[in-house]
Amino acid sequence: MKNTIKVQRAIHNLTQDDLAKKISVSRQTINTMESGKYVPSTALALKMAALFGVGVEELFQLEEGD
Amino acid sequence: MKKLPLLPHYYRQIGCILFVPFLALGIAYMAFDYTIPWLNYRMDPGGIEFSTNFTDELAAVGLIASFVMIAFSREKIEDEAIQFFRLEALQWAVWVNYAILVLCILFCYGGLFFSVMTFNLFTVLIIFIIRFRFVLYQYNKASI
Repeated sequence: MKNTIKVQRAIHNLTQDDLAKKISVSRQTINTMESGKYVPSTALALKMAALFGVGVEELFQLEEGD
Repeated sequence: MKKLPLLPHYYRQIGCILFVPFLALGIAYMAFDYTIPWLNYRMDPGGIEFSTNFTDELAAVGLIASFVMIAFSREKIEDEAIQFFRLEALQWAVWVNYAILVLCILFCYGGLFFSVMTFNLFTVLIIFIIRFRFVLYQYNKASI
């Protein structure tokens, strides 16, 4: 699964740490999500989408093979 | 998200501290037949004498308790990614443990097999702790 967390983070001028605190996860989790090693739960995806003011589909996209 | 049932974070330190004396007691019992004198127990129901010493029980229960505390205490920030890695490491540990156990069943006989079964009381937890710590180490390293 691809995601645009990093881009959205840059648009909103947030560091990984800022974002982590806002959605109450660890900074490492943001990192593993951005690198695609960890796919977040629906709840966390919705939280991030709400924070960035975009739809979940803008934040996460399926890749071939998913 | 539904939280896993885990002990508070500080239990990990308690587990690490308790682990040392119980391991020493376990080794002393296994290797040197050491028993704590006041843990002797004797009873005599209907004229048939039964006596035992509870040193090995104490060592085994103490070791299991300390391993459980180390393995199942919450991380400082226990978020869903950590829970995912935790469950993955647990599954990995069960796989590896039974693979090793099957090999030991096939290749160990007699007294050696008995020792293997004794160690097997703890190996799932030990393998889990090592695997989980390793995964967390990589997770931390990857995000520096």
